[in-house]
Amino acid sequence: MRTNWASATAIALLVSLSTSAAHAEEVTAWRLFISDHADPKVTVVDAIDGEKLDTFEIKGPASLHRSESGRTVFAVQGSAGVVAGIASGISFEDHGEHGDIDVEAPKLAGVEITGKKPSHFVEHDGDFAVFFDGEGVARIISEKSVLEGKPDFRQVKTDAPQHGVAVAYGSHVLLSEPNREKPDELPVGISVADKAGAPIDGVHACPDLHGEASSGNILAFACATGLLVVSHGDGSPAIRHLPYADSLPDGKTTTLIGGRGLQYFLGNYGADKVVLIDPTIESDAFRLINLPTRSVHFAIDPVRAKFAYVFTEDGQLHQLDVVKGEIANSLKLTDPYSMDGHWSDPRPRVAVAGDKIVVTDPLQGVLHVVDATSFEKTGDIAVEGKPFNIVSVGGSGQTHEGE
Amino acid sequence: MSRTLKLAAVIGAITSMPIAPSVAAAENLRVVASFSIIADFAKNVGGDRVDIVTLVGPNGDAHVYEPKPADAATVGSADVVLVNGLQFEGFLQRLVEASATKAPIVELTKGGEVLRNAEEEGHHDQDQAAEGGEKHAAAEEGHEEGHHHHGESDPHAWQSVHNAELYVKNIADAFCAADAAGCDTYRANAESYGQQLEALEAEIKAAVAEIPEDKRTIITSHDAYGYFEHEYGIKFLAPEGVSTESEASASDVAALIKQIRQDKASAIFVENVTNPRLIEQIASETGLKVGGELYSDALSDKNGPAATYLEMMRHNITTIKGAILGS
Repeated sequence: MRTNWASATAIALLVSLSTSAAHAEEVTAWRLFISDHADPKVTVVDAIDGEKLDTFEIKGPASLHRSESGRTVFAVQGSAGVVAGIASGISFEDHGEHGDIDVEAPKLAGVEITGKKPSHFVEHDGDFAVFFDGEGVARIISEKSVLEGKPDFRQVKTDAPQHGVAVAYGSHVLLSEPNREKPDELPVGISVADKAGAPIDGVHACPDLHGEASSGNILAFACATGLLVVSHGDGSPAIRHLPYADSLPDGKTTTLIGGRGLQYFLGNYGADKVVLIDPTIESDAFRLINLPTRSVHFAIDPVRAKFAYVFTEDGQLHQLDVVKGEIANSLKLTDPYSMDGHWSDPRPRVAVAGDKIVVTDPLQGVLHVVDATSFEKTGDIAVEGKPFNIVSVGGSGQTHEGE
Repeated sequence: MSRTLKLAAVIGAITSMPIAPSVAAAENLRVVASFSIIADFAKNVGGDRVDIVTLVGPNGDAHVYEPKPADAATVGSADVVLVNGLQFEGFLQRLVEASATKAPIVELTKGGEVLRNAEEEGHHDQDQAAEGGEKHAAAEEGHEEGHHHHGESDPHAWQSVHNAELYVKNIADAFCAADAAGCDTYRANAESYGQQLEALEAEIKAAVAEIPEDKRTIITSHDAYGYFEHEYGIKFLAPEGVSTESEASASDVAALIKQIRQDKASAIFVENVTNPRLIEQIASETGLKVGGELYSDALSDKNGPAATYLEMMRHNITTIKGAILGS
């Protein structure tokens, strides 16, 4: 058993149903992976006791993404032209009526995918697609290859460099279509390539494409005109356009995240609003929520499906009730972080780790910890430098003695 | 009936929520039904006294349904929530949590005889049900080895009309608890509908009796007809398990094709909630002709041949009998 790395809570249980292990422990482990705004490093913190577990030196400041399984964290280092895989050290095995957890040391997986200007990173069904803006190329790799340290990626090309996106969608690949007339502007649509890389069905228009997310069995892209909604069709992806409602003010979504537990999408809509989207209905698909000030970052709660969180530039964290479509609670956490200035200036980011909501405060060098149930601040965790991007990995499961 | 177990022993109490106070007589009971078949039962019991919202509608697949925030709001304002239970609605727990509903969550399979998930014994009905042997379900759910991704019980209990009568009784009980003033109406409606169910069951048994015993093996998409098989003696084989969530593997399909040839299956059918492609492939490889569409986990829309439970069961047995005798 390798749980000593976890600093995890362990509750011994006598479990009579296991024949191979008469004694099992219920273990909870959560880890925070935090990148620095200025320095090329990723710090790993135990979210339960706040202790630093490790720091990984990488090649450039990174934005972070975690895999659905939680086994892998990716550091997309745009300026350095590298995407590095990190094995989170926490994995689960589903046994139906219970799940086993395995907790090991986090480590660099040894896989790096290089190219010009890596930007959008998308996972779909265990395949990761990284888009390299400087080349107009997507490189796709499986989680299995990453964790085995094998750089076995395949490559799909678009016609031109662009700030693009790709999604490995079963045997097809969805690719952003570059704006040929104005190459510096956002993509204009989505095309579908079959297994051989040949385009099918033409281009699905999506002007100013920026923002992609999945919720359940639906994938969506944000456009200036609405959403492109992708679902499983008969043999190939089914794509339809969901226009913004006439009742919405002028605006568009450029960042999109997908609900877990409940199927919905949450996007920005203008600087000081967010929009809740149910893409399965035609009328009332969009619910607009006004924020007190401009939005800095938002995240869904994967455990409490009813809630999402929005951080605004006045230093407040808002608990958003996605069922009622309103802000349920607000909590002042940091000094103001103005959205004036460069888009990539250091500003807070939000992650949910089990029963905790964690917010980075890069200018103070701390993580603020909020209890997700009471929505009250419970503490701070100091992190050297300017903690910026953050993802969490973890959960609960059983370990069996002797395995 | 050794292959069954009492559900009550498995799940214990049905409702974890307090019973909602009785509604005023002037207001209709706000009822949420998890899927279309339950909604039809509820309509027959509740009549004009209830307003029913169905989460997974006609031709929808509850196994893979993704609840929306609007569903949570609907459940949150309900007086009674009717569900199948036996892990049929995999979305139920998260939906109920998100809704913060105070309504009772009524599992309609309560008190019924529950068949064990055939996957527990090996996929594709490798058991001996058709040979007269029946498998025992575990005395205590969850106390077995192995992986149980879709629960240990077959949730498709409505495929036995006998069980449908229990669903109706449980609905009447739930409505009476929530609306005492309407209880006499609910009981009377349930009794009247129960008579229609009894007549339906007699029709099904008579239709099966006309099918030669050596022609009573057929193929469908997923293991949704275990109760029909158990009650009426038609043997169903399927490439997918009791849930449509997991696709059949190539080896599953190969094993099924081998079994179809061994057992000399008489007919093959597509289902309204599943993609027909796999069934069409199996039909092509075995030389069986697709005998039509069966309704398994959802009714048809109102213009279809299975807009009610009574129509669905009649359509299914008529389609099965027609395909077998015509083959």
